[in-house]
Amino acid sequence: MIEFRNVHKSFGGRPVLQGIDLEAKAGEVLFIIGTSGVGKSVTIKHLIGLLRVDAGEIWFDDKRIDKLSEREMYPIRKRIGMVFQHSTLFDSLTLAENVALPLRKHKRMRQRDALAEARTRLATVGLGDYSDRFPAELGDGMRKRAAIARTLTLDPDVALFDEPTTGLDPVSARRIDALIRELSDRRGMTSIVVSHDITSIFSIADRIAFIYSGRVHAFGTPDDIRSSADPVVEQFITGRPEGPMETPGF
Amino acid sequence: MSVVSRIQALGRSALALARGSRDLAALFLSTLRGVARGRRRPGETVAQMYEIGNRSFLFVAVTLGAIGMVMVYQTALQLERITGDLSLVGPEFLSLLVQDFGPTITALMLATRVGAGIAAEVGSMKVTEQIDALRMSGVSPVDYLIVPRLVASLVMTFALAIFGTAIAYGAGGITAYVSYDLNPRMYFDVSQVTLADVGLGAVKTATYGLAIPVISGFCGLRARGSSEGVGRATTEAVIGSSLAVIILNFVISGLGIYGLGLVEP
Repeated sequence: MIEFRNVHKSFGGRPVLQGIDLEAKAGEVLFIIGTSGVGKSVTIKHLIGLLRVDAGEIWFDDKRIDKLSEREMYPIRKRIGMVFQHSTLFDSLTLAENVALPLRKHKRMRQRDALAEARTRLATVGLGDYSDRFPAELGDGMRKRAAIARTLTLDPDVALFDEPTTGLDPVSARRIDALIRELSDRRGMTSIVVSHDITSIFSIADRIAFIYSGRVHAFGTPDDIRSSADPVVEQFITGRPEGPMETPGF
Repeated sequence: MSVVSRIQALGRSALALARGSRDLAALFLSTLRGVARGRRRPGETVAQMYEIGNRSFLFVAVTLGAIGMVMVYQTALQLERITGDLSLVGPEFLSLLVQDFGPTITALMLATRVGAGIAAEVGSMKVTEQIDALRMSGVSPVDYLIVPRLVASLVMTFALAIFGTAIAYGAGGITAYVSYDLNPRMYFDVSQVTLADVGLGAVKTATYGLAIPVISGFCGLRARGSSEGVGRATTEAVIGSSLAVIILNFVISGLGIYGLGLVEP
């Protein structure tokens, strides 16, 4: 369904992705893991045209999408939603207005209809009573759920989650995990999750891609990764400070 | 540093400048297209008019008022020493204000206050991925953020330039009367102001009103990293907008005075 072929990306002469090869199947929950600054978020942003590859190819449903223009990316963005790391709700809009925005722009719905649909969507993530609140009035977990509702409002085939549980309390984090798993199991949605939350990774992932030194260093099921003899993978999973892993800034 | 590496560094800077200029021009055209499409958010445009205009009134009044007082005082002081004839102080000062000082000094004030505000707001949205979220929602960041600010800036720069000119002229008149006992009827003589002066001033005002939000928005949209990146974008916006006002003033004045012969040198 989704394929990265030898993708390269540099920022200001500093190489971040140095030949990413990655594949996601329809309906699976794929985790992209790795240390901070290794290029996990950069990788998924290429899929929706928020970043452009320096070299390599990206394919989505047998169509090459890395060369599409901003306008040509619009239909792709209807099918691939993204939940950003910081929720990115617009402070001047209520939760319902935030969720209604993609409906009005992508589906050309009228404001009243879009707001009604948005309230329904918010109810599915347990925020029905908070539709008219502003993001600043809510906690991190609720904002994150509202951001998920906004992403799901277009019923995308694929959802990208950028560190969905970072900064959340354990209960809220597990609720988000359950929601991601449910989306895959019940609706057949493909989820690509960027994370270094070990609990999330091993509780809901179908497959895991471990990025290291700009490439996919290890790829497999949670059992494959957990039982990996690779010293770098083993160090990441156990979180040992000593080992062969090179960490930027340390 | 070797000669080759210096040349390479120079080449890199030149390429970066060329790319930046191209991107700025593209943003400007994209913003104008957004205005032409008419997909404005009236509420947001009004809010921006209040932010850009109403909240700058005091700042512009104090600055232009002080400049008007100092300029008239100094001009009259020199004239009194040389000729003793102060009859043209008011009319000539008004002519200068209308065609140049009023719009330009007002725009320089807006470049600092408004330019910094736009860059900080847009830059914060950029580094917290809100701009990306807009794009994902099918919303053009240019239409959503830059277009309302451009429309508001264009309208309010005119309002503030007229207001600033009146304040500077009035403050100068009071100074002339108090310090030199200059007859207000002689000072408040508008006969020296020509249509060309007004036209030149209006062209400058419109150009500044377009340039400041686009340059500031451009700097905000290029912000990277975290709060440090927003700070850098804000500084770049103030410098870029101020420099643009000075360069545009130079070019438009040159064209108006020497190119088209609209006003006498």
